[in-house]
Order: sequence, then C-alpha cells, then structure tokens
Amino acid sequence: MRLLKFIVVTLSLLPLAYYGWGASHDTLGANPIEAVTRGMGTWTLNFLLITLAVTPLRKLTGWHAALRLRRMLGLFTFFYALLHLTSYLWFDQFFDWGEIAQDILKRPFITVGMAAFLLLVPLAATSSNFAIRRLGGRRWQTLHRTVYAIAILAVLHYSWLVKADQSQPLLYGGILAVLLGLRAWWREVERREQLAGKYQPKIRNRIIPIQPRD
Amino acid sequence: MTIEGLVKKPVKLDIETILKLAPLEERIYRLRCVEGWSMVIPWLGFPHDLVLKQAEPLGSAKYVEFVTAVQPEAMPGVRSRVLDWPYVEGLRLDEARHPLTLLVLGLYGDILPNGNGAPLRIAVPWKYGFKSAKSITTIRFVEHEPRSSWMKAAPREYGFYSNVNPDVPHPRWSQAKERRIGEFMKRDTVLFNGYGEQVASLYSGMDLKKHF
Repeated sequence: MRLLKFIVVTLSLLPLAYYGWGASHDTLGANPIEAVTRGMGTWTLNFLLITLAVTPLRKLTGWHAALRLRRMLGLFTFFYALLHLTSYLWFDQFFDWGEIAQDILKRPFITVGMAAFLLLVPLAATSSNFAIRRLGGRRWQTLHRTVYAIAILAVLHYSWLVKADQSQPLLYGGILAVLLGLRAWWREVERREQLAGKYQPKIRNRIIPIQPRD
Repeated sequence: MTIEGLVKKPVKLDIETILKLAPLEERIYRLRCVEGWSMVIPWLGFPHDLVLKQAEPLGSAKYVEFVTAVQPEAMPGVRSRVLDWPYVEGLRLDEARHPLTLLVLGLYGDILPNGNGAPLRIAVPWKYGFKSAKSITTIRFVEHEPRSSWMKAAPREYGFYSNVNPDVPHPRWSQAKERRIGEFMKRDTVLFNGYGEQVASLYSGMDLKKHF
C-alpha cells in the first residue's frame, strides 16, 4: 500500500509538472496562461471523477484497499481546484476584487464554479482522521456526500463555459451520470432487500439505516 | 470564388485573377476574438470593395453574405455538427465596402496557411474575429440581413453586428478585457477595437446594446 500510494502521488503530480514545464519552456501554445487555467480546471474534474470512481470500483472488483487511496485523490481534487481558482484570480483578474465579485454575480458559469469550490473547502478541511473522529462517522459521511452536488456543479461550470462544442462537457457529464447512477441503483437494491427482510448488514451498527418510503 | 445574388453580372473569379486585381498591401490590424484574446496581425491583401465591384451590385442590394468552404478531408472539424455548415457570415453593404475591410490573401509576408482561411478570406478589424469569414467560396449580394452560422447556433449570444464593445458583455462572460497574445496581464478592450475614428459613423444613432 505504501508503494501504491507513492505511485499514485507521483502520477497525480504529473499534470502539474507538465504545465509547469510547459510554462517555462513555452510549449503550451499561443495562449499559455489560458492553457494553464483550463488545464488545472480539467484536472480538477478528472480527479473529481477518479475519486468518485473509487466506491463503484470497490463494489465491482471487491478491491477494498482502493478506499485507502480515496482521501488522497480527494485532496488532489482540491489541490487542482485551488490552482485553477488561483490562476483565475491572479492571471485573469489580477486580484481585482470588484471585477471578481461582478463575475461571480453575473456569470452563471463562474457562480457555479465558485460554489463548487466553496463546497469543496469543508471537505478538504475535514479529511483528517482527527476530523472524522471529531465529527463522528455518520455526520462526516453526510457532510462528504456534498461531493455529489459539487461534481454536478463542476460539470455545469464546464458546460456553460464552452462556446459551442459540448462534446467534452457531455463526456464528463456522461461519466458522472454513470458514477452517480450506480450509487442510486445500489441504494435502491439495498432498500428493496431491506424491505423484503432479506438484507443482512455485513458489519453490525455501522450501516446507515434506510427508511422505507411511503 | 463566385460573386452572385443582386448583381448585374454574376462572376466566377479564380485565385490568379483575383491576385491581379490590385497590388497586395500589408496592413497591420488588431484582431479581437469574442473569447477574450487579441493579437496584432500583419495581413496581406487589398480593399474588399475592389473585388465587390467586379460584379456590379444592383441598387436593391443592402447586405453581403459570405459562404465558405466545407472540405471534410482538409477540415476535420466540420465532420461534427457543432455549427450548421457551411459557415455563413454577413456584413452590411457599407461595412463590406468600408476601406478598412480587407480582402486577405496572405499574412506574415506569405500566402495564407490553410488554418487561417486559405486561399482567401476577409479581415474586419473592428468586429469580433468570427465575423471575418475564412476560405470564402461565394459572396452573395442580398436585400435582407443574412443569418450567420453563429446567429443560428445561439441567437441570444451572437448578433449580426458583433462589433467589439467592452460595454456589451457576452451573455456568459465579460468583454471588458482581453489578453493580448504574448502579454502576461489583460488589457482593457476598446470600443470598435480602437477603430472608432474610422467606423463609428457607420453606427450613429444605433443602439449598440440592441444591435449587438
């Protein structure tokens, strides 16, 4: 696991290295600043979807150790989101707070992007074991489920930004729909089993009970 | 290239004929893209009006419509239906005949590369870049305002005039600033891309927010 974590960290830093090297060697095309801002945004989305893929991957393959990578992947999502935001605040607006406020209020794609980032902050802040203990597992889990909303906002942010060609945002939206759809489906199956009295919690007292619907 | 529509004599001109119409001059224009970047480009060409005159337009012609090439082999982008191909643009007749409107055959002292609109295109420096149609195959004189490809794709976002204007934002982003290619910080965008002295009179009395 330590080796695996080391490999994942190294791989996760490659996009940063690529843009860092490209910026200093001028290989990012005619508009390198835009390329950096967009690249950081794309990698935020990539890491968000990779993080959300951990649970389905575990369920489908039974490789439960993958869970131990999830925190790190989530933190890399935040890391790239922070770089993406910094690049916008700095290179696009040069910290002109009046303009930035206007943008947030008037441009829906910036509104949802900023909302997604603000929602990410508490998740990053409560990623330590200490925070999980402090909050209690169930409250922690409820809080961290906001990641589903964040992912939807992030895809909207991308979709509202592009001029006309929606193929990339649709691809991200499609993958997200599958990742969220699988969860909804599994939960529905669990609910039905529980209602039929067939459901056997594998670990006592650690499953969130599902209330029957009227 | 064909020139047709409301004209006395429709003509078909090949590139050699067009090259002989007038000596090429170099014009250094600012180009402002609707997506917020800009660039200073040395074009090679001659006034667009010289080629328009070849067909002797009728008095009823009020607008010019440009139809451009669709070659899936050379232009893989047209295989996806992002826009309704062929790409169509248009200008009001006085805009099309304005001395700043350039018929472009080259840039940076050389012939036009394919991606920049070979073999010929126009350059309308006071409008957003997409108004300067590339790889033109037909110029058509018409009576009514043509509907461009971008107007068809998103009528709320792209108007017929699309003059550079920092005070008329794109519905989804601001147009107040631009990043000049090669510069680090953004600079302020100027009305009519800085060509107001030459072209503002074309729009006197018009509400530029309404006719965006």
